[in-house]
Amino acid sequence: MAVTGVSKKVILRKEPVVKDIKLTINDEEYRVSVAPYETLVDVLRDKLGMLEVKKGCGHGECGACTVLIDGKPVTSCLMLAMQAEGKDITTIRGLAKYGEELHPLQKKFIELGAVQCGYCTPGFILEAKALLDSNPHPSEEEVRMAISGHLCRCTGYQQIVEAIMAVAAESKK
Amino acid sequence: MSNLKTILKPKELFRPSEYFKPTSVEETVKLLDKYGEKGRLIAGGTDLVVDKDPKIETLIDITGLGLDYIKSDSQGLRIGATTTFADILTSPVLDKSPYNILVQSASRMSTPQIRNMATIGGNICYAMPSASGAIPLIVLSAEVKIVGPGGERVVPVESFFTGLGTTVLKKGEMVVEFQIPVPPPETKGIYLKYSRTAIDMAVVGVAVVITLESGGVCKDIKIALASVASTPVRACSAEEAIKGKKIDEAIIEKCAQVAADGINPRSGSIRASQEYKKLIVKVYTARAIQQLTAK
Repeated sequence: MAVTGVSKKVILRKEPVVKDIKLTINDEEYRVSVAPYETLVDVLRDKLGMLEVKKGCGHGECGACTVLIDGKPVTSCLMLAMQAEGKDITTIRGLAKYGEELHPLQKKFIELGAVQCGYCTPGFILEAKALLDSNPHPSEEEVRMAISGHLCRCTGYQQIVEAIMAVAAESKK
Repeated sequence: MSNLKTILKPKELFRPSEYFKPTSVEETVKLLDKYGEKGRLIAGGTDLVVDKDPKIETLIDITGLGLDYIKSDSQGLRIGATTTFADILTSPVLDKSPYNILVQSASRMSTPQIRNMATIGGNICYAMPSASGAIPLIVLSAEVKIVGPGGERVVPVESFFTGLGTTVLKKGEMVVEFQIPVPPPETKGIYLKYSRTAIDMAVVGVAVVITLESGGVCKDIKIALASVASTPVRACSAEEAIKGKKIDEAIIEKCAQVAADGINPRSGSIRASQEYKKLIVKVYTARAIQQLTAK
């Protein structure tokens, strides 16, 4: 009964030592049971229901799963949940919770057509927020370097770069 | 459910059962020694979590050991093993040539998100011939400080790699620090990487550190190449071709040609053919020396 693509190896493994860890997400504390092999993106989405964190490639190339860890962008598919204990995690919902006013980046992305299907958008916006927090007036080159870890299949990136530059320009006033 | 007995898809075979976060190097060495081959150190995890090696049963998180530092003193530079590429990229300690080849290589290392997690120790210990941290450290004459059950030892980075993905590390040993000596005066360096997109590994990487003396003569030079063999390599013949000579177009061309002739990259690489790698090595070696010696 050979089925291609599925390993038929039977693996005997030790029972994983599951640990209750405390995660600080968007300034709120959550307690969740995680096994050592669970990635942060899977724990955020499957255990905590935070579907605003998107899973694209699952191996760190597309950037869709990007969250901020202590303010720095990290691809959550490459981070084990255990590594995130004790860190401050920000998802896109941290920029504006349900019912709140949208963050300037979110508004500009919508206004300038930088969102089409929207799947890559949370990653791009969090990356842009981290960039503008450390470099409020980046050059276009610096913006393009900062978003080099994000793929967008829809927009062709131009509107995204313009939206980020526009937010930076408006903050000068 | 006392054991996980089921048929799993390949990626799902990654099922380490324990996760430790020691607070001292001694404790880490004991854990590594205890868990042997099935225990693995994790710092940034950006190679480990991609690979999802099913053989790993125990993870030992070394980010709590305080090994993320870049220190400079009269002896030279010391970089802790868990220093991230993002830290290297923004370090004020590394902004002068030739130390800044580490910054140049960090700026071309993968993506910003991965740089925030990936560590130079992990990059070197993963021992890929394309490793962004390897050839800069080699041309800076760096050494690796290793701690293990038998004590401490120091090994030149150049001799650290024994093959594709393999190093001189013995059971229970871990890398704690990279040590770079003070470069002689009039020494400059450059790192050039040829790759398709931002996240890609180097198709070819070239790192050069050169010490010049009066009259535009090359007093000393080190050239290292990435992704042209099963380990990062030094282009020793190319170095000999130019050492002690006055630098001009002809000698640069000759040195670059010797560098290209001296490599024998494998023919099966999906990234580039042997001929193309040799061509890029020649062009980039020449370009590196030209940029270092331009007025």
